[in-house]
Amino acid sequence: MVLVLALGDLHVPHRAADLPAKFKSMLVPGKIQHIICTGNLCIKEVHDYLKTLCPDLHITRGEYDEETKYPETKTLTIGQFKLGLCRGHQVVPWGDLDSLAMLQRQLDVDILVTGHTHQFTAYKHEGGVVINPGSATGAYSSITYDVNPSFVLMDIDGLRVVVYVYELIDGEVKVDKIDFKKTSSNSSAH
Amino acid sequence: MPPALLDPPLSKTSSVSSLISGTISQEPVPENRLFDDLRGLQWRINLGVLPSSSSSTSVDDLRRATANSRRRYASLRGRLLVDPHVPKDESSSPNLVMDNPLSQNPNSTWGRFFHNAELERMVDQDLSRLYPEHGNYFQTKGCQGILRRILLLWCLRHPDCGYRQGMHELLAPLLYVLQVDVERLAEVRKLYEDHFTDRFDGLFCQENDLSYSFDFKKSSDLTDDEIGSHGKGMKIKSLDELDPKIQTIVLLSDAYGVEGELGIVLSEKFIEHDAYCMFEALMNGAHGSVAMADFFSYSPVAGSHTGLPPVIEASAALYHLLSHVDSSLYSHLVDLGVEPQYFALRWLRVLFGREFSLDNLLIVWDEIFLSDNSKMEKHAEDNTDTCFRIFHSSRGAFISAIAVAMLLHIRSSLLATENPTTCLQRLLSFPENTNIKKLIEKAKSLQTLALSTEISSSTPALVEYNNKGKSVITRSVTTIACESGSPKTPKSLLPDNSYWEEKWRVVHSAEELKQDGVEKQVPSQKKRWTEKVKLSLKRTVSEPSSSTIKNGKKESKTSVKRSLLEDLSKELGSEEDIENLGCHETLCQQDNHSLAVEAEQQDDDSDVSNNYGADDRCLSRNTGSEENSFNLASPPNEFKDHENVSQKSSVGSNLSLDVINEISYSSPIDSPLPISDHPENNLSPVAGRNNDSTGNSATLSRNIKLNKFQWLWKFGRNNGELMSEKRGLASEAVKQTNKYNDQSNTASSSTAGDLCSSVNFNGDSADQNVMGTLKNIGQSMLEHIQVIEYAFQQECGQGTSLDNNTSKNVLVGKGQVTAMSALKELRKISNLLSEM
Repeated sequence: MVLVLALGDLHVPHRAADLPAKFKSMLVPGKIQHIICTGNLCIKEVHDYLKTLCPDLHITRGEYDEETKYPETKTLTIGQFKLGLCRGHQVVPWGDLDSLAMLQRQLDVDILVTGHTHQFTAYKHEGGVVINPGSATGAYSSITYDVNPSFVLMDIDGLRVVVYVYELIDGEVKVDKIDFKKTSSNSSAH
Repeated sequence: MPPALLDPPLSKTSSVSSLISGTISQEPVPENRLFDDLRGLQWRINLGVLPSSSSSTSVDDLRRATANSRRRYASLRGRLLVDPHVPKDESSSPNLVMDNPLSQNPNSTWGRFFHNAELERMVDQDLSRLYPEHGNYFQTKGCQGILRRILLLWCLRHPDCGYRQGMHELLAPLLYVLQVDVERLAEVRKLYEDHFTDRFDGLFCQENDLSYSFDFKKSSDLTDDEIGSHGKGMKIKSLDELDPKIQTIVLLSDAYGVEGELGIVLSEKFIEHDAYCMFEALMNGAHGSVAMADFFSYSPVAGSHTGLPPVIEASAALYHLLSHVDSSLYSHLVDLGVEPQYFALRWLRVLFGREFSLDNLLIVWDEIFLSDNSKMEKHAEDNTDTCFRIFHSSRGAFISAIAVAMLLHIRSSLLATENPTTCLQRLLSFPENTNIKKLIEKAKSLQTLALSTEISSSTPALVEYNNKGKSVITRSVTTIACESGSPKTPKSLLPDNSYWEEKWRVVHSAEELKQDGVEKQVPSQKKRWTEKVKLSLKRTVSEPSSSTIKNGKKESKTSVKRSLLEDLSKELGSEEDIENLGCHETLCQQDNHSLAVEAEQQDDDSDVSNNYGADDRCLSRNTGSEENSFNLASPPNEFKDHENVSQKSSVGSNLSLDVINEISYSSPIDSPLPISDHPENNLSPVAGRNNDSTGNSATLSRNIKLNKFQWLWKFGRNNGELMSEKRGLASEAVKQTNKYNDQSNTASSSTAGDLCSSVNFNGDSADQNVMGTLKNIGQSMLEHIQVIEYAFQQECGQGTSLDNNTSKNVLVGKGQVTAMSALKELRKISNLLSEM
């Protein structure tokens, strides 16, 4: 059982001061094994904060990130799942499922995590999942000002992944859950 | 055959055909069935997991209890071991806000899951280091998993206690014995394969018969017999021919018996369940007094009067018991500031698991579990202040008794320590090559004492002292009366000390002689004692003739000697007083050693001499005055004699002679019948008079030599410190030779016997020539030096060859140089003496 935290688009300090307090109180060290971050943190302090939650931190480069060494895309394998990570602003049209599916095939991953739209979305697509965790701080985007802070926690266990979506709506944390099972044929394919 | 042997087919039919009511299957099985070859089963019974194998218990009852306990565990496991990934009802439950991985609620599935994971990590940390020497079993994945689950479940079940380090070491042996049982079963199964495999077929044929006969005999009382006769087929007959033990195994592992497969008492499948039940019973005490879980908690248990955490209280109880058994060791430990919990915490929490190897541990646990854990009736309501909970059951008493026996086992090395650090080192590195049987035997005798100690612990020892220790008091009175001359202030001993020592011995000898009456015991003991005195006196006399006359003659002669010494010591009194202070410590040590020697020997057959020694010592203590501090240190036990002489040079040996005299005096007077029976009885007053009259005249000649004696004293005092160290080593060495080599025991005693005779011979010659005495003393000293040297060599040889304590070796190495130089000094003195 592995817990993977996926978040992005924090835009600290330009568009938001910090993570919401409720999120911060939930995110405690010791539970999460991996953090994947789509980018736009934007300063090193946020990076350091994420490191305190879990030392295994994977970040792709966002256009506002101070740190320029982050890669454009990143793939990693957790359990029997292959995860792909990308900021998402490179994929046009932004947030388009077919374009994202292309990237998913390109990276050859089961789960693709992208950002940039600041809106939580999750698609089951072609035996894989495409997830956008939204903005963890609720920072406005170039598309919309109406953003609810949200992030995603993936519980990867064998061939099964449970995606927990945490969204802060009107000061209350709302949790949703998406089950996804990888077919064994898929796993044998790679 | 008894009906119990017909039981198996019946019980099977009851489950197969389900026509027979349960009453039939509850046939009594033979009593006192001890599963001595199935330790796990025996433990389960002793721990209260399974009903005790009394007459009312049958195989079926065992099976039912087994099945029930397993069901309990299974449900517990299903309830407590949560897996958030199991979909079950969670997908339907809308409360995702609570049940998510980041939930802060500890009662949520995930909260419990993370809590469990944390516990598991802690448990794993310990488990990964469990019995590395038996790693091929304990370190396997399956075993670790079982252990982890059991510990986890127990902790979840008892959240107030939680997991503490050491629990895994309590659990591991339990699992181990179950595994051994199962393996044993497999062995048996291989041997008697046909009985295991064919059972079902055999039954199948009988079933028709039975159901047929049942059609018209259903409600009849005769069904039992009827079915019995039906069941007496070929198969069963062949089963009857088996060893009953094998039979039980077959019955217990019959998959078609009561409760089916779940009821198989010895089943590899359910090892985990069984181990959990045993563990829980052990930890919770199964309604008994001793619950291991208490030893892990820091808060005092309800009902304890001390208000201390249970383990601290138990440690205190341990010292309490020790103080009764061996006050010198106790005071030594207390002086060093070694609190009992420093080592007892470890001993008790894992039930000595760290002190013994696994094989020995199982034997110890056998005994521990065998003793009853049920709370005993509190004797009196007045013993509220000092009563320890651990003494409330015989099991608790036995646990503390083992601890005390262990302390006594390493007594000498403990006494040799000078600071608490080394003392603790020795306590915590218990020698591995321990004779476990001896230890347990000792513990058993201590257990009875512990139980009785508890009863009388609060009442001042004096009351019982009067009741049971009558002999002690009368003896002291009579001896004082006998010694009329010198004003004697009773030595300030702990009154209960001698009493308890004697009591212990009484108990001990009572065990050995299978006598129960204490009152009866005391006189007989005395008789033996007097016989022994006679015997020793006879031995000292060169030509054998009628014992009474010889005794008398002997007494008159030796009494002279004795009075001489008394006078001498009286004159030396002032000096001795000073010396007493200096020597007190060494004496203490020496006394301790002698005690240890006794304790050592007590396990041997020579209980007679031991009783004798004990009585004698307490006698000498009671008569003791200023000068008798030496008597105290010189019991006539040859062993001690030897020790004593070697360190105290001539005076010591003379005094030991003195002791012998005193015994010969007091023994007849002590005996309940004042007249006749003992021929010495008539002689003793005469001897006493002789003593007085000749004593005066002898003092004159004695005074001449006084200076020399004083010189000797001084010498002895100067060397005192070196000597004491050496003495300790020597006695240790001798003890070890005694332990390892039975031959050496006789050898040393024989030398000691020589010594005795020589000393007595001295007594004879003292009349004519004191110079001669000195010469003899010198010779005897030489002998002793040789003995010590021999012991030293032995010690060295063993120190390297046998796996002794390394610390002891270091001590030997250090002390050897000083001891050797001291020996050389001694040699010089003895040469000087013999030249004179």
